[in-house]
Amino acid sequence: MSRWTVVAEQESRDLWVGGRGPALVFGFSVLLSAMTYLAATNQAMNFLEQREAVNLIVQVGLAVGVLLTVVVSADAISGERERGTFEGLLLTPVSRRAIVVGKLAAASTIWLACLVVTLPYLWVLGRGVAGAVQAALLALTVGTLVATGLGGISLLISAVTNSNKTSLAWGLLLLLVLFAPTQLPALPKTGVGEVITRVNPIGSSLHYVSQILVSRRDWTHDLSYLASPIVIAVIVTGVLIAAGPRLVRLTAGPR
Amino acid sequence: MTTIEAIGLSKRYGARNALDGLTFAADQGEVIGLLGPNGAGKTTTIRLLTTILEPTGGTFTVAGIPGDQPDRIRQRIGVLPESAGYPARQTGGEYLRYAARLFGRSRHDARGVADRLLTDVGLSDRAGARISTYSRGMKQRLGIARALINDPAVVFLDEPTLGLDPAGQREILATIGEIGRGATVVLSTHTLTEVEQVCTSVLILDRGRLRAAGPIDKVVAGAGSLSAAFLNLTEEARHV
Repeated sequence: MSRWTVVAEQESRDLWVGGRGPALVFGFSVLLSAMTYLAATNQAMNFLEQREAVNLIVQVGLAVGVLLTVVVSADAISGERERGTFEGLLLTPVSRRAIVVGKLAAASTIWLACLVVTLPYLWVLGRGVAGAVQAALLALTVGTLVATGLGGISLLISAVTNSNKTSLAWGLLLLLVLFAPTQLPALPKTGVGEVITRVNPIGSSLHYVSQILVSRRDWTHDLSYLASPIVIAVIVTGVLIAAGPRLVRLTAGPR
Repeated sequence: MTTIEAIGLSKRYGARNALDGLTFAADQGEVIGLLGPNGAGKTTTIRLLTTILEPTGGTFTVAGIPGDQPDRIRQRIGVLPESAGYPARQTGGEYLRYAARLFGRSRHDARGVADRLLTDVGLSDRAGARISTYSRGMKQRLGIARALINDPAVVFLDEPTLGLDPAGQREILATIGEIGRGATVVLSTHTLTEVEQVCTSVLILDRGRLRAAGPIDKVVAGAGSLSAAFLNLTEEARHV
């Protein structure tokens, strides 16, 4: 077993058995329950079409799932520095690359848990297996890309800060900056708005998802909208692997 | 056989010299006391030799491995860091099993070595309890067990008895004495009596510079006691 998997396994155990993961996912499921209830009642009163209700839940699941991944990643290195447990990990022969990859993999488990929690809600709103499966596969594909990219950025921020609060604040600010434009309905229709949507990994992902679920486009029709999340996920993972030995140190800042 | 060799080892933080040209050697089985006032460079020395920090000058080998191969050095050393933090939600057994697996042991071997070390440091009855319920002395013993998880050739202990009561200190010193039978031990401490009890030689640092090195009796010679020699050497340096 390679050593990054040992790190990932223990980090996941700390997250899930330690209680932080279940608490976050519980909060997520409460939010999703409320959203599903509202979507279902609107659907019953013909205010919302079934496919729009499913799209809403996928989008909420994706946005909040990514948010939780960012929160967990932000704690991964700066949090250990604060708790004084990082030096023990650095004193083992595990490479710095294996440490960051293991931590990113463990943080991604919170996204996968959010996805699993979303499934029954999709099944209820999708009124059957077929609709739920398509929405779930879409959320898995697109959400994993976004969670990897933004979780990786959050891990990078965590590596270059000594304070957990600072890394968390920067991670949340980044997410807010990326999420805010998606709430402007006119954006995709204008030239600049189109560019902003395509560059923004969250905006482009949500747009891609809605094109498939609401406009009933084929998966390949708007594939170019996935360029931004794919590029960010690849670049961030590459930076973490390449720069890991320089970033993963006892303290952030000058050597 | 020389297990630690440092030649002109230096560490600068901007304009400040944390360690300036440290040169010394230690043999297998030696227990070296690393002494010095606060800010003398003791922890920096340990962090350089354990590859946590990169030196700004000089070279070193640990367990015969050059300093430019940090992964290989870490495979052969055990360290109890200064103010080591412990994951509060893990149990003592889980903590040691994880450490063993990070050193490349299989799941089965990790369980075996963790159980053995917990017994050696007297924590076998608390193996399943969360570390947050341990006393400070128990945490220090757990830290020493972790430092021995890979059967190291060199063990670095940074103030292992800090904050312990006399009984706890005695237990830790007894454990250090046992480790010293096979491995080289570098013991950083402020307590001179500990050094006299368990160490075979000392390094005295002050403001990043080496003031004295060698067997305790040689360093003490003329001063009457280690305490007097220590104060002479460190206060003398302040008046220069």
